[in-house]
Amino acid sequence: MTITSLGVGEPHTIVGGILSLIHAGMVPIAMLVLVASILVPLLKLLGISLLLLNVHYRWQGHAKKWTVLYRIIAFVGRWSMLDIFMISILVALVDMGRVAQVIAGPAATAFAAVVVLTMFAAKNFDPRLIWDNQR
Amino acid sequence: MTKINFIACPECDLLLNPARPLLGEKVHCPRCGYLLQRPRKQSIERTFALSIAGFILIFPANLMPLIGIKMLGNSKDGTLWSGVISLFEEHMWGIAILVFLSSILFPLLNIILSLLISTSLFFNKPNRYLANWMRLLQHMDEWAMLEVYMLGMIVACVKLASTSELKFGFGLYAFVALLIITGMLASSLDKVLFWRYINQLKK
Repeated sequence: MTITSLGVGEPHTIVGGILSLIHAGMVPIAMLVLVASILVPLLKLLGISLLLLNVHYRWQGHAKKWTVLYRIIAFVGRWSMLDIFMISILVALVDMGRVAQVIAGPAATAFAAVVVLTMFAAKNFDPRLIWDNQR
Repeated sequence: MTKINFIACPECDLLLNPARPLLGEKVHCPRCGYLLQRPRKQSIERTFALSIAGFILIFPANLMPLIGIKMLGNSKDGTLWSGVISLFEEHMWGIAILVFLSSILFPLLNIILSLLISTSLFFNKPNRYLANWMRLLQHMDEWAMLEVYMLGMIVACVKLASTSELKFGFGLYAFVALLIITGMLASSLDKVLFWRYINQLKK
């Protein structure tokens, strides 16, 4: 998103937002954003890939642990929407023409697509496959 | 033909003898640990009452201002809708639709469906759409994200707090109440019990 303040426009990225929160001394909130918008989507993609590898190569054992991994992935996905909602609130509130304005940038759409697609991916994974492969 | 009375665990497909748990007990799948059932006190009555409360609260939460800001002499109020509308005006269709669905439409549908289902179960009125409603409700659960919206709102407030004056509107109180109601609604709705009643009503 681009934040314009007193006529000076400045594009903000997710990482930049986290850094500026840390500079402002809001470390817990910065951690929240870091976890929700960077760590969770990345780890989720990694987790789904591991689950698919597990099913494809019929890895034996630890089926219960794999099921727990699946449950965590399915539960955690929706929390990444935090950033999208934050942008929608900022866009609505900070809208004072040239004085101060927030405009959503192209990365917002890409990020939203990541969240929605990984949620669909997690929903379409069938945990029963893990158990079917156990001998 | 003898009637086979087994249930399959929805997560690992293990065939199980159905249990009839008492209040306060939990039924887990012995193989994968999936929570199969957790009976609730007066599940139907509570779901009925909570969904009425939610249905009332959703109007102020949607229509009244959540937060307002005052910045350099300008003031502006934000409602649930204003974010969607501003995103539309900036031609961010995808995000606007996504925010609309997950913060307005799905929470509303969630409450309407709970209300419809619990009303017909409460008054013992069979309805041929009951099973469809129940299925839809289970699918949609995940996509209503009021609690995530709340967190997003907190982060936005923190970001704005240094440069502008924030004030909280009546809509915010309604929103928080709605959040609590939907949380209680989700935990009071005993799916196994609901499906059993739906099945009984059909006969």
